[in-house]
Amino acid sequence: MSRRLSLSLPTKLDQLERIYEAVDELGESEEWPPGMVYQVKLVLEELGVNIVTHGHGGEPDHEFEIVMDTDADALTIELRDEGRAFNPLTDSPEPDVDSGLDDRPVGGLGIYLVRTMMDELSYRREDNTNILTIVKRKENG
Amino acid sequence: MEISVDRANEVLIAKVEGRIDGANAREFEDALNGAIGEDDSKVLLDFSTLSYISSAGLRVILLIARLLQKRNAAFALCSLSDPIREVFEISGFDKIISIHDSQAEAVDKIGR
Repeated sequence: MSRRLSLSLPTKLDQLERIYEAVDELGESEEWPPGMVYQVKLVLEELGVNIVTHGHGGEPDHEFEIVMDTDADALTIELRDEGRAFNPLTDSPEPDVDSGLDDRPVGGLGIYLVRTMMDELSYRREDNTNILTIVKRKENG
Repeated sequence: MEISVDRANEVLIAKVEGRIDGANAREFEDALNGAIGEDDSKVLLDFSTLSYISSAGLRVILLIARLLQKRNAAFALCSLSDPIREVFEISGFDKIISIHDSQAEAVDKIGR
């Protein structure tokens, strides 16, 4: 069985709710394990917040798109936005996850969580558009 | 997101309900700062009814942990769901913040 779910969202933080609802619906209909539902929500939230606050600098009148495709083995997500060029594979530093409380930098964790929780990430920039493709294999739920 | 506050054995227990994300992390930070009194020397966040936290919430936890450490106050978390515990482990936060399985265990450890 395969399914496709597409969302087109204004670049506003109050739209995160629609992402959670879409992931819940897809996860429920496909009986994903609870851990996978949580991880997919987190990954889309982290990337969505990044697009809204950094990619578009908080300007609310743009749009970004999320397309989720599932088959028996995997969930494939494509994220498109026309904000500032940003490659999460190279433009975000590895965060320091080992130092003590005082020396711990406050940022950088969001993209690190995305990279750790998903199985594949690939990025390209086409016609002023960031296109990020993410694969999450179901057995790693 | 809602926070309800209780005290046991001199421990301030803040129970967080719902979701903490990039849209309401600031509200979470303000609510916690408001809940923690200047005289509180032991603070526990109970996550038994927290359904979701991401990096925006972790940032707030880190700031609060630092603030409390400066005051020599004890700080701990308890009752994390499996996916939330995973977020803390990937981020390495389990190495800098003490995490307990239950509220009773946490109060026993940091309480009077």
